Amino acid sequence: MTDKYMIEPDVNFIKDIEALGGDTLKKCFQCATCSVVCPISPDNKPFPRKEMIAASWGLKDRVLKNADIWLCHNCGDCSTKCPRGAKPGDVLGALRSLAIAEYAVPKSLGKAVNDPKKLPLLILAPVIIFIVLGLATGLLDFTPSGDEVVHSKFFSTWLVDIIFVPLAGWVAVIFALGIKNFVSDIHENAVLTGKTDKKDFDQKDYVLALIKVIPTILKHSKFSECGENKERSSGHLMVLYSFVGLFVVTNIFFVTLYGLQIHGPYSQMNPVKWLANISGVALVAGGYLLMKSRMDKKDQTSSYKDWYLIWLVLGLGLSGMLTEITRLAGWAVGSYAIYFIHLVFVFNLFAFLPFSKLAHLVYRTLAMAYAEYSGRK
Amino acid sequence: MDKKYGVYICTGCGIGEALNVEKLSAVPKEEGVGIVKTHPFLCGKEGLELLKQDIAGEGVNSLVIGACSRRVNFDIFRFDGCIVDRVNLREQVVWTHPSTKKAGEEGGIDHIQMMAEDYLKMGVIKIKKITMPEPYKLDAFCRKILVIGGGIAGISAAVDAAKAGYEVTIVEKESSLGGYAAKVRKQLPVENPFESIIPPVISARIKELESFPGITVKTNTVVARIAGQPGDFTVSLKKPGENIEFDVPFPLPPEMKLDSNGKEHDKDKQIELYKEFNKGKLDILALDPNGEKFGAVILTAGWRPYNPEGNEFAHLGFGELPDVVTNTQFEEIAAKGRITRPSDGKDAKSVVFIQSPGKGSDNDFSYAGSVTSLVSLKQAKYVREDYPDGKAYVFYQHMRTPGLMENFYKSIQQDPGIFLTKGEVVSVSKNGDGMIVEADNTLLGEKIKVKADMVVLATGMVPATADDPIINLAYRQGPGFRDIDLFNKYTDSNFICFPYETQRTGVYAAGCIRRSMTMEETIEDATGAALKAIQCIESSNRGVAVHPRSGDMSFPDFFFQRCTQCKRCTEECPFGALDDDEKGTPKPNPTRCRRCGTCMGACPERIIGFADYNIDSIGSMVKTIKVPSENDFDNPPLRILALVCENDAYPALDIAGMNRLNYSHIVRFIPVRCLGSVNVIWIKDALSQGMDGVFLLGCRHGDDYQCHFVKGSELASIRMKKIGEALQSLALENERVAQFEIAIDEYDKLPKMIGDFVEIIEGLGPNPFKGF
Repeated sequence: MTDKYMIEPDVNFIKDIEALGGDTLKKCFQCATCSVVCPISPDNKPFPRKEMIAASWGLKDRVLKNADIWLCHNCGDCSTKCPRGAKPGDVLGALRSLAIAEYAVPKSLGKAVNDPKKLPLLILAPVIIFIVLGLATGLLDFTPSGDEVVHSKFFSTWLVDIIFVPLAGWVAVIFALGIKNFVSDIHENAVLTGKTDKKDFDQKDYVLALIKVIPTILKHSKFSECGENKERSSGHLMVLYSFVGLFVVTNIFFVTLYGLQIHGPYSQMNPVKWLANISGVALVAGGYLLMKSRMDKKDQTSSYKDWYLIWLVLGLGLSGMLTEITRLAGWAVGSYAIYFIHLVFVFNLFAFLPFSKLAHLVYRTLAMAYAEYSGRK
Repeated sequence: MDKKYGVYICTGCGIGEALNVEKLSAVPKEEGVGIVKTHPFLCGKEGLELLKQDIAGEGVNSLVIGACSRRVNFDIFRFDGCIVDRVNLREQVVWTHPSTKKAGEEGGIDHIQMMAEDYLKMGVIKIKKITMPEPYKLDAFCRKILVIGGGIAGISAAVDAAKAGYEVTIVEKESSLGGYAAKVRKQLPVENPFESIIPPVISARIKELESFPGITVKTNTVVARIAGQPGDFTVSLKKPGENIEFDVPFPLPPEMKLDSNGKEHDKDKQIELYKEFNKGKLDILALDPNGEKFGAVILTAGWRPYNPEGNEFAHLGFGELPDVVTNTQFEEIAAKGRITRPSDGKDAKSVVFIQSPGKGSDNDFSYAGSVTSLVSLKQAKYVREDYPDGKAYVFYQHMRTPGLMENFYKSIQQDPGIFLTKGEVVSVSKNGDGMIVEADNTLLGEKIKVKADMVVLATGMVPATADDPIINLAYRQGPGFRDIDLFNKYTDSNFICFPYETQRTGVYAAGCIRRSMTMEETIEDATGAALKAIQCIESSNRGVAVHPRSGDMSFPDFFFQRCTQCKRCTEECPFGALDDDEKGTPKPNPTRCRRCGTCMGACPERIIGFADYNIDSIGSMVKTIKVPSENDFDNPPLRILALVCENDAYPALDIAGMNRLNYSHIVRFIPVRCLGSVNVIWIKDALSQGMDGVFLLGCRHGDDYQCHFVKGSELASIRMKKIGEALQSLALENERVAQFEIAIDEYDKLPKMIGDFVEIIEGLGPNPFKGF
């Protein structure tokens, strides 16, 4: 490389990282202990040292367009072993959340998701949408009839779908835009920094690589290489599988409803219902484990973005389970109210998926696929 | 003093088992010593009682103690009013030489017994030849301390000396005290937690100084000459730039000593030229009647900023771009107010600090040090103080933040607008109304560029002694310190072994005259130098050596009737202790002397000696060594003499002993004060009495010398090179005489070093003079 890289540090970017849990960033004195102790860092251009330097110089482009911040699973080995008390694990966490905000439009929404002061707004938004849309269409009935507790009588399935189906589409579009930029950026960055010699991007090979990393993700094999933070693996795995399970359940029931015209509630003997219940329990249990491991790990910084997601997962699971339990118990008012809350959680999960920490689901997968594609070892 | 001799042999620590003590005890008796006693535990209560009884009851006042090394139990075996010699039977004999003869075995040679007998005899002859030293006392003695330089170092030294009760005079060439410390905006921290820059401490220090009535301050004053010796310096002061007759004369430069044919002028011509060269100045021996008296001098003349030569830093834009400045220029700007560009007065919001001039080398700027690293961090902070959106970059090859200054580095690092990286700056170029700095091999991994409003070069601090002798000593060897070229013109003052000491006894250096350093280090340095000056006064007034032979009461005595005025002693003394008159007769200045004996080693007439260390005492020891010949044995063992420096080599031998290393038994060691004190007559004596080889064991010499007396081992090596002629006259091979260098921690190399020499001598065969 003969071209000189013009360095223009972005001091505000440094302050952003510090605000998002990377406040130890500037303690780094570039000894590279982090890169050496990291169990999952590749040998060629290992992370997180180079990210620490670039981040402490405020080189936003350099770090946010870098796939390596996603290869990090936040094991925390680097943070524990750092001789200067810098916590590269936390810094990379902050960088990821800034990257998520960078790739999702509108950016103001990304900022809001990372800002605790905006939390009431995020909660209020679905409440208003539900009520306004529900009352306007008449699909929200505050006085549902009948003895049996049937949620669709209170909050029509139509109402759910006219809100959530477009929402899913919107999320898909935002992600699609983000993914397009993201993949092209991480490729450009990899070429620029010599992480790969595949100068031209081959889409087909990349998709093959994507397929190849799926088992790795499902087995959480990278996670289990972690030293410091191993126990987080099982909680994370439970949450992942429960999301997969619930995704499957939702799709089956969607087909059941619109294809077969069979309305819920469905029998508890139904195997799909079993999957739903198991997934629900796993979601709560996994969320609890994640929360506990964060609380036990005093030396690791847990910032708002982390708690937002954990509470979302726990809230989602608990409200879902409680909705079902109260329904079975026949407590109509309670069940309807909890169902409403549950839908607020679902809305938060869906609408803010590309903006919250949960977007790592997409970006980490893509980055791991890119690592696989580019032969990074 | 009427001597009464006593020899005491300790049989403890394995001595009794390895040696035939009865036979050994007979040796001193043959030499006429009446009292010879043995004890199994001489350093114990009973053993000491035995010695004390003999001293008190029998009147023994000259003792030979055959036991352990003189370097251990030295306080136990010291008796007031007695001459004591320690014969090292333990470390040098029994611990380093396994018995060559099995117990009860008949025939064969008991080398170890021979060795012990030799050493004991040498001890006896030594105490016969030496006398008790009596200290040299000056007639007039002054306890005042002169401090040259009124910066933070001088002020701190003066305050410390005043606190200890000494009168101090500070001379400062500027019109006010404070020096550079008074010119900075802020300074580096001087106390815990060493985290942030602080307002200059100098004003508080000056205030403290004013509270001591014993401190006199003379501003607009410099030293014209310092004549005399510690305890009795006569100092002539003057205004800067003034010419007075007591300005110190300079010695004739070597090139002026030669005529047009390259031949040295004769003595009278040289004197004439010297007078011509120093016209208007009185000779060094002329004493200023109005001069002020001082006992010791602290040199704290400080530093000046480095002046880049020509286009030395043109690649960094210095001299070409007005916004490229040195760190001192930047400090001046910062001290005046907000940092703005010299070119157009606009805000300097992006400043690049460069620590190394680059050009393929990773050296820092000359005369730089940890202080220049730290100052860059400090000045980076100025940028951030002046501009909330300011950025400061530090490109370094070395970021040196020793000790607790690491805390300062850490705190600076935390600033989001300060960027630090190792890297080589390759160019600074104009870019619109700003500049672009390009650097290679940075921590950011590649060739990078940054935009800069100003660029600051971390140039170094040149010691004042680079331009001027400053101390202006009226010494024959010259007014300044010799050989400071070896130390980049810093005052040579060995950091590890002898900090603050200079090559001139009574002159102690502190602060940036020694090396570039921070104010915190300077303040500490000043305390060290003040204590050294006090040590000098409190030793000189008792007539004892100051350092490194602290407390030594002996001093060189000259038998002037036989002096040939060859000037060798005057020229070779590492400390300039001798001045000579027009005829060349040396004039000793005993309190300048460090008692190394280099003059004694130099003197071809052998007229210089100490009461307890002289040509005769060592020469007699050499002659006492029994050289076995064919008259004694069919196959007589060889004998080698080793003259061993007491400072590093002798302790190394002891450590070898403690580690039970073995080396050849044919060598006899004699400790000497310094290899510089070795007179070649001893070597000639050894060889002419049939010894087969001689080696000198001492400190490393050259640019990174380790000699405790600076020049001793170097001078010895020159003399050893010249000894060849003398050997030829004896028809002996040059290889029979050698000099080896050893450091105290290299004791493990000794057996091989000695063994290799023995092998060479064995190869040469026995000395033909044996048996004559």
